[in-house]
Amino acid sequence: MSINGWFPLALSDAITAGSSAGAIVKGLEVVVWRDDAGNAHAWEDRCPHRGMKMSFGFVRGDHIACLYHGWQYGVDGQCQKIPAHPELDVPKSICVNTYGAAEAGGMIWAALGEAGDAPTLPDATAVRSLYIEVPLNTALAALPSAVGAKGFTPEGPVARLDSRWGMLLVGLQEIGETSCALHIAVAGRATPETCAQIAMAAARLRDDVEAGVAA
Amino acid sequence: MTDPVLYNYDLDIDCYTVRMIAGCLGIALELRNVDMFPGNEHLSPEMLALNPQGRLPVLVEDSLVLTQPLSIILHLAETRCPEHPLLPTDPGIGARMLDWMTFAAREMGVAGAARATAMLGAPGDLDALRAQARRALRLVDDHLTLQGFKGLGFVAGPEVTLADLMLFPPFALSRDFGIDHDAFPALRNWARRVRKTKGFSTMPGIPDYH
Ligand code: FES
Repeated sequence: MSINGWFPLALSDAITAGSSAGAIVKGLEVVVWRDDAGNAHAWEDRCPHRGMKMSFGFVRGDHIACLYHGWQYGVDGQCQKIPAHPELDVPKSICVNTYGAAEAGGMIWAALGEAGDAPTLPDATAVRSLYIEVPLNTALAALPSAVGAKGFTPEGPVARLDSRWGMLLVGLQEIGETSCALHIAVAGRATPETCAQIAMAAARLRDDVEAGVAA
Repeated sequence: MTDPVLYNYDLDIDCYTVRMIAGCLGIALELRNVDMFPGNEHLSPEMLALNPQGRLPVLVEDSLVLTQPLSIILHLAETRCPEHPLLPTDPGIGARMLDWMTFAAREMGVAGAARATAMLGAPGDLDALRAQARRALRLVDDHLTLQGFKGLGFVAGPEVTLADLMLFPPFALSRDFGIDHDAFPALRNWARRVRKTKGFSTMPGIPDYH
């Protein structure tokens, strides 16, 4: 399967400096991480050494150390250090597959395949990411009524909804055929109470659509 | 006071919980290792005489024998370090801590069962156990998300308590029974904070940050 475009992986807030997480886009495993300088990165979630998931490793300043044998990869994906051979000048061929990364609308995006320009979205307050064990289209169909919207405007991997809490931006991540993530942000600034209400409505949506699929 | 004796198996999730929390409280335990797997020593006549439930951990202190992580942890904390900052002084926060400790013991118990089935060959329906464990983890993730909007970083309030330490192992070890951390952003960031507790320790399956 070829995957082309920009895809949302996480809410910007959820990946704090010095941390990482795994994200799957249509079966493709990606690690999203933020260095101590605050820049977000998206790489293939696979260590070139023995294939360990990079998302199991640790962010240290400006590099990730693989959990398995501690090989260290800098922001360009190049392996810089192999702890078992500290004197070794590491060959340039040892490099993690890296993707373009951008932040927009309160989310972190990865450029996969032929991606084109990064998405432009209004400033937004990140609310929460919701992981649901149903096909993306099933979740999407239930989304408007869950947030008091009449419908949604799809813009590639974002749905805009005119909700009872204002304009919602929902990043759409298709994990696989039967699971998805919705990254929910609200345009502009929102109070903590508003965010809590949206988060609770979102959790209800998740539980309802999963129960509907099971029934 | 002599050190309490903990009958322990290093790879058991509940034994780890007790060891790790005792460490955070600064309480020394005398460990007696029991070969649970593959030796089944916890089912030996001697161990069954001590705990007829055939489970670990077991804490023995003079004539007192305790068999549940929740009671072991509370007993140790209340008798040996009642002033410890892991025990909140605010009654409301204290009540919430107890609520989440009970949740950890009751609702999160499925995580231990799922892990034992996946890793140690214990009988059980792994798919069903995993689904129940996912549901329990989601309840904590949902709760921590809402706590975050209130500026509270832990399950009972603004500071780490015994409840967070009790909830940590089932999340940290969830990959052992096939649940990845990807789908729990609030738990992931909370776990990073919990790890900073003074005296915290890991076990096999929970990497040290190096
Ligand atoms: S698999 Fe990553 S360092 Fe060996």
